[in-house]
Amino acid sequence: MTWLFVRLKLSLLRGGLRGDAGRQVGFAFSVAAAFLAAVAGFGLLSLIRLAPYGVAVDLVSAAFAMFAAGWIVVPLMAFGLDETLDPARLALFPLTTRQLATGMLAASAAGPWPLASLAALCGGVVALAHGVGGVLLGVPAVILQFAFCLTASRLVTTALSGALRSRRGRDLLAVAAIFGVLLVQVPNLLLNRGLSGDPTRILAAAGEVLRWTPPGLAAHAIADGGLIGVAELIVVAMSVVVVAWLWIAALRYALVRPDSSNRGGASVRRSPTGRFLPGGLLGAVVAKELKYARREPRARVNWISAVFVSAVFMFSLRGPAGAAGTWAAVGPVCLAAVVIGLQAANSFGIDGRSLWMNAVAFSTPRDLRTDLAGRHLAMAVVAVPLLALASLAAALAAGNAAWALVAAPTAWGVLGVAVGIGSITSVTVPYTYPERLNAFAGAAPGQGGQAFAASFVTMLVTGVLVLPIVLPVLLGSGWWAVLAVPYGLAAAWAGRRVAAKIGSARFPELLAAVSRPT
Amino acid sequence: MADAVRTHGLFKRFGPQVAVGGVDLVVPKGSFAGLVGPNGAGKTTTLSMVTGLLRPDGGRIEIDGRDVWADPVAVKANIGVLPEGLRLFERLSGRELLMYGGQLRGIPLDEVVRRADELLRVMDLVEAQDKLVVDYSTGMRKKIGLAAALLHNPRVLFLDEPFEGVDPVSANTLTEVLRRYTASGSTVVFSSHVMDLVERLCDWVSVMNGGLVVAQGPIDEVRRGRSLNEAFLDLVGVRGNGEDGLSWLGAPA
Ligand SMILES: Nc1ncnc2c1ncn2[C@@H]1O[C@H](COP(=O)(O)OP(=O)(O)OP(=O)(O)O)[C@@H](O)[C@H]1O
Ligand SMILES: [Mg+2]
Repeated sequence: MTWLFVRLKLSLLRGGLRGDAGRQVGFAFSVAAAFLAAVAGFGLLSLIRLAPYGVAVDLVSAAFAMFAAGWIVVPLMAFGLDETLDPARLALFPLTTRQLATGMLAASAAGPWPLASLAALCGGVVALAHGVGGVLLGVPAVILQFAFCLTASRLVTTALSGALRSRRGRDLLAVAAIFGVLLVQVPNLLLNRGLSGDPTRILAAAGEVLRWTPPGLAAHAIADGGLIGVAELIVVAMSVVVVAWLWIAALRYALVRPDSSNRGGASVRRSPTGRFLPGGLLGAVVAKELKYARREPRARVNWISAVFVSAVFMFSLRGPAGAAGTWAAVGPVCLAAVVIGLQAANSFGIDGRSLWMNAVAFSTPRDLRTDLAGRHLAMAVVAVPLLALASLAAALAAGNAAWALVAAPTAWGVLGVAVGIGSITSVTVPYTYPERLNAFAGAAPGQGGQAFAASFVTMLVTGVLVLPIVLPVLLGSGWWAVLAVPYGLAAAWAGRRVAAKIGSARFPELLAAVSRPT
Repeated sequence: MADAVRTHGLFKRFGPQVAVGGVDLVVPKGSFAGLVGPNGAGKTTTLSMVTGLLRPDGGRIEIDGRDVWADPVAVKANIGVLPEGLRLFERLSGRELLMYGGQLRGIPLDEVVRRADELLRVMDLVEAQDKLVVDYSTGMRKKIGLAAALLHNPRVLFLDEPFEGVDPVSANTLTEVLRRYTASGSTVVFSSHVMDLVERLCDWVSVMNGGLVVAQGPIDEVRRGRSLNEAFLDLVGVRGNGEDGLSWLGAPA
């Protein structure tokens, strides 16, 4: 049965890749990146063997914990790495929830990224195992740690997507905020403990905190290699079972509950904001996008996870208080701007199958340019105040409210660059968002690689292109920030211009790419 | 006088499968034309290519004498489309959908409001106008889709299975609207599996089978004295009558 799920996933992958060069390139890109990550991860972890024994154990514990954290956070960023089966598709088959859970777990382990992290985790055995016992325990320890990552990731995404779907925007923000605060406290705690001193002290403190978590226990078990190690592994196995059980419960709950984001036929208010919008195509697109940001669950989840990830950045990247310069305020806010701007890397994804309405009306690149401008404007309406707030928060946290005056314009500029680049990726590597909100799955089957490539390239190019405005600011020339907004606007304009040229020449292909069956 | 729609050797393949293999579709101006054919005949693919939603692998398409793919500016303003599958902006209300569609076409806002109000009334959607499209029933979706396709007063209208899944009352509304529309000299092309309806409404019919047009012309010429249903079955060739195999179906387990 489990094997069947794996085969199902593999054939979905294969079917999705067939006969489309773009998707194949995306997949190859994704595989290559995963392979590099696997080799690098394995190598780095193995090198820890050279460190003194106590340090090595703490280092591996920290690395294992970071893997688990990564597995939880990365799918939230909707990178399309998380291309798993939609449990709702399988609801009609006579499967017990347990079969469903093991099957889906196995299916989510099959794929380049899960395998890459399994390979990297194996480096932990090289780093810590001494003698036969260590190796013998090391293999199950790594597998259990991997299972822990998978189940924890599934649990968080399933629970969160259920919660995010459940009610209207206001409640969702509350949920996101609670999770944000909770998660954010962990690195904070570690940093505050180790604040006073050198890296080894921080590491020791981290090791102490992590000692009794499943990743820490797994690391210790490898190092121990004896009976204590066996006991520790049993504890890890039990925690995997508990997390899996919780996940099954969340899954069962999600399966029998209808998608309550549909408000059962209630009427919507005729929007009064329409009056403030420009008329014509631009205004129509802005109005539609703003409505979608409120009403479409996938758009909401995109926004909320952007806010969530930004919040994590804001708190966890906060340097030691006092020692910081403007960068402590500017850095996190700029990262937040990139994360928010990433939503524009697949602008047409949310429209999906309804994009034909635009396709039959648009006949010149100019139409498409206006459309993109409308989307960007709608995003700016939400993001600009949001980033201003974030700047203020970050500046206060960094110890000088005036830094907000530097951080906010810089972040706006970064946002401009991100959406400019994003409009180009939107037309060159478009992909379909799944119709139903399945956890945070990024793309239709077979398009995960493309989704990954789109986000990754957007981030990379944005990162390079913002250097001229961000670098001087980070180095202390705060006045440079006045150039950021014009720079961002210019970048967004140029991006739209190029994107409209490319996009209107291949609008039918674009339409097909965002309306694939999911 | 140019035909409303004319294609030359229209061709499309998906991987190894030829979906449309050299279609010469002709629809005279002002006609109410039906496009019929068995499942998988290539009707949807043809209509998608004609309306500029799917790029053909070969062939030419002219609407009112202008090439769809070479001169989209002139063509797209003059066509209305209701594609298969009722893919609409689900999270807009019916009214908002019409406003969006109208503004997309560059119609001034007050004119859009006027036309939308009228269309909503004619389509009997006034009560549902502020509900989200995602909550609409199939028939309501077809009606709002047709309203959106008519809003900019196109010269040629392409509808993919507009009557499937629509109750008789709504179907009546739809046909009345379309009749009035063609009476003024505009052209309607629609695909359908309901032969009675095609027989009743159309003055022109094109029959597709296996990616080709196998018969086309004024409906009486295609029918030649038979009912359209008989003519259709003759033209596409009756396939197995479902009596062999399936012996297990319905047998006690
Ligand atoms: N996107 C696609 N990818 C692969 N094959 C396709 C695709 N779209 C259509 N086809 C194939 O092309 C052929 C024609 O399909 P089309 O949808 O045009 O038929 P149709 O006449 O509209 O059928 P129906 O009456 O069932 O709607 C079918 O055999 C179908 O399998
Ligand atoms: Mg069809």
